Amino acid sequence: MSNENMTEPEVNETQAASALDGFEPAETADTSAQSDDMLDFDDDPLSATGVSRKSLVIFFLIDTSGSMKGKKMGELNTVMEELIPEIRRVGEADTEVKVAVLTFSTEVRWMYSTPIAIEDFEWARLRASGVTSMGAAFKELNQRMSRNSFLNSPSLSFAPVIFLMTDGYPSDDYKEGLRELQANSWYKFGLKAALGIGQEANDNILAEFTGSKDTVVHAYSGGQLAQMIKIIAVTSSQIGSKSMTLSDDTSHELGEEDVFAAKQKLLGQQIQDLVSSQTDGSDVPFDTGW
Amino acid sequence: MVELEVGQEVEMEFGGKAKVLSVIGSGGQGTVYLVRFNGQKWALKWYDIDKMAKPKAFRKNLQTNITDGPPSNKFLWPKYLTKELPDGTFGYIMELKPDGFDSFVDILNTYKLEIDPLTGHAVKRQVKFTSLSAMVTCVINIVNAFRQLHRSGKSYQDLNDGGFFINVNTGAVLVCDCDNIAPDGSNFGIGGKPGYMAPEVVRGIAQPNVQTDKYSLAVVLFKLLFRGDPMEGEKVVRDVCLTESSELKHYGQNAVFVYDPNDSSNRPVRGIHDNVIKFWRIYPDYIKDAFIRSFTTGISEPTKRIIENEWQKLFIRLRSEIIQCGCGRTNFSSMFVQPNEKTFKCPKCGMEFATLGFSNRPNRMPLYLGCKFYTCEISPESDDFSTVAGELVENKLKPGVLGIKNCSDRKWKAKMPDGVFYDIAPGKGFPVWQGLEIDFGEIKAQI
Repeated sequence: MSNENMTEPEVNETQAASALDGFEPAETADTSAQSDDMLDFDDDPLSATGVSRKSLVIFFLIDTSGSMKGKKMGELNTVMEELIPEIRRVGEADTEVKVAVLTFSTEVRWMYSTPIAIEDFEWARLRASGVTSMGAAFKELNQRMSRNSFLNSPSLSFAPVIFLMTDGYPSDDYKEGLRELQANSWYKFGLKAALGIGQEANDNILAEFTGSKDTVVHAYSGGQLAQMIKIIAVTSSQIGSKSMTLSDDTSHELGEEDVFAAKQKLLGQQIQDLVSSQTDGSDVPFDTGW
Repeated sequence: MVELEVGQEVEMEFGGKAKVLSVIGSGGQGTVYLVRFNGQKWALKWYDIDKMAKPKAFRKNLQTNITDGPPSNKFLWPKYLTKELPDGTFGYIMELKPDGFDSFVDILNTYKLEIDPLTGHAVKRQVKFTSLSAMVTCVINIVNAFRQLHRSGKSYQDLNDGGFFINVNTGAVLVCDCDNIAPDGSNFGIGGKPGYMAPEVVRGIAQPNVQTDKYSLAVVLFKLLFRGDPMEGEKVVRDVCLTESSELKHYGQNAVFVYDPNDSSNRPVRGIHDNVIKFWRIYPDYIKDAFIRSFTTGISEPTKRIIENEWQKLFIRLRSEIIQCGCGRTNFSSMFVQPNEKTFKCPKCGMEFATLGFSNRPNRMPLYLGCKFYTCEISPESDDFSTVAGELVENKLKPGVLGIKNCSDRKWKAKMPDGVFYDIAPGKGFPVWQGLEIDFGEIKAQI
């Protein structure tokens, strides 16, 4: 019954044919086709490579404008350094988690030129100066969220996690950048969350970015900042790398409309639950005591 | 969520306090801590009850499981509950994973990350079965553990790669995360892990039960042997991004096995699923047919899924068909040349292996130095697949002479070159020769 002569498609053919749901195919792909010769084939039943993992890229969009200087930046750098080992655990055997960090101030800059596997990722401490070019950051993210750029895994991907952190009002036309981003399928299916830091950050703009108020949180103090970053980053990468949970209700079969954006909704719920359970009144707000 | 602090004490249900020493890890339902209780170290699972659908019923079920005890010693079973905090939060303690066991996840990844204490950097360390028989023994142990669980009338519900610890040298298995185990037919809110869930659970038309466990078990076995996802092939990869709706489609509504003989739309893709492509060529047909059945008819007809006892028989056979050649090549007999029906020949070095045929089964067991057979293979009423009954050894007094040693506690009879059957007492042996016949009692064997 088992068919020995079945032919397997190769990775490059598959990608050429792939354009479903607006995820554009990659222009180039590895050609790792090997000789099918029976004699050359490694038949050791114990020599395996790791199971093919789905890839998940976590994008951090971080405001490094001048107003972030001092305690905010110090707090952010410290919590990000501590966060990396915590995110390492979420991928398990199924998901290869990678991290890409885009900073925006007067200029837009990637921390590393390509997403880095979480095992190898090391946080490079950020410094703050300049204005808040959020629109330019959205445009740059849109450019890179493509199969020909940062999302070039030959295997399957989960929709990315995109986490925006800012403490102020954009100094450029963020709406134009956001419009471009909103047309990107990876953004559409991605898990979006945002953190406003201090009094100046505008939660409405952040909700425009995430698509819902549930996935926007606000930190007014150093302790809160650290807590919120951890909550959002860990929760979103857990949800992003695991995929949907099912309904308790087994009375009707799930359809596409039932599961649409299920992860984003779950993320919103969990973030709200976690945020409401945090109480931290002892910290001095960022904006006072200067 | 109420997180515990290091140094914090948690009151146990029947008195005493467990003191938190460190965090071990966290999962979907809560966090696991290393604790000290009654002078001993334990693992404490502390629930995030906000994420639980029915915490009260969940606790009651856990209580019942603790009272019932584990189905066998292959389970890291819940031991004691904690008291509830005023807000209802609780946890339970269980024994720690013993040394020498790795998680199934690490085996699938082929490595684990260890933090170098000096530099603080994560270092990859290889995790791999050290022998083929250890790997197949591990499969038999997994199947047997679920057989025991299902016989006790319970289902595991959340069967996935996070649920096992494995000894890669011996194939010993410990089933962990036993807190969702519930009487068949009940569910306390756990759905399962995508990729492991039965299609009817993904589609939202069934809750986890013994039948869905059987599907998940087949996925676990496939992943362990073929090192890939049975449903992830060309059709799935073409979607590029695994959104919620594509998961519903490829793992629920329209799940297609990568080697479905009647549907080639989802074959493994070279460059991505190389493991599956390679291993599908190595395993004998009776193993592949069992997976084909699990993932074709078994998708739509839960009652036609392979039962644990059938898996157990198939893998006991597979273990008996391993050949360890003197040249270093170790593989299943189906990957050796068969010059005649009673002989296997190594394609690499040309060495030939005689075989032993048993009266109760058609497949023949290849004989090589160190090969073993087990109690269940020589006594039909036995289910004991781990006690060695016989082994092919070299005579210590006559180097170069190979024979079979009776490691069992029963007397056998063996035909010697003079044509006479002699009694072979436990601990004794007899030479392997062309006309050898063995009488184990009900089962007979001959060269």
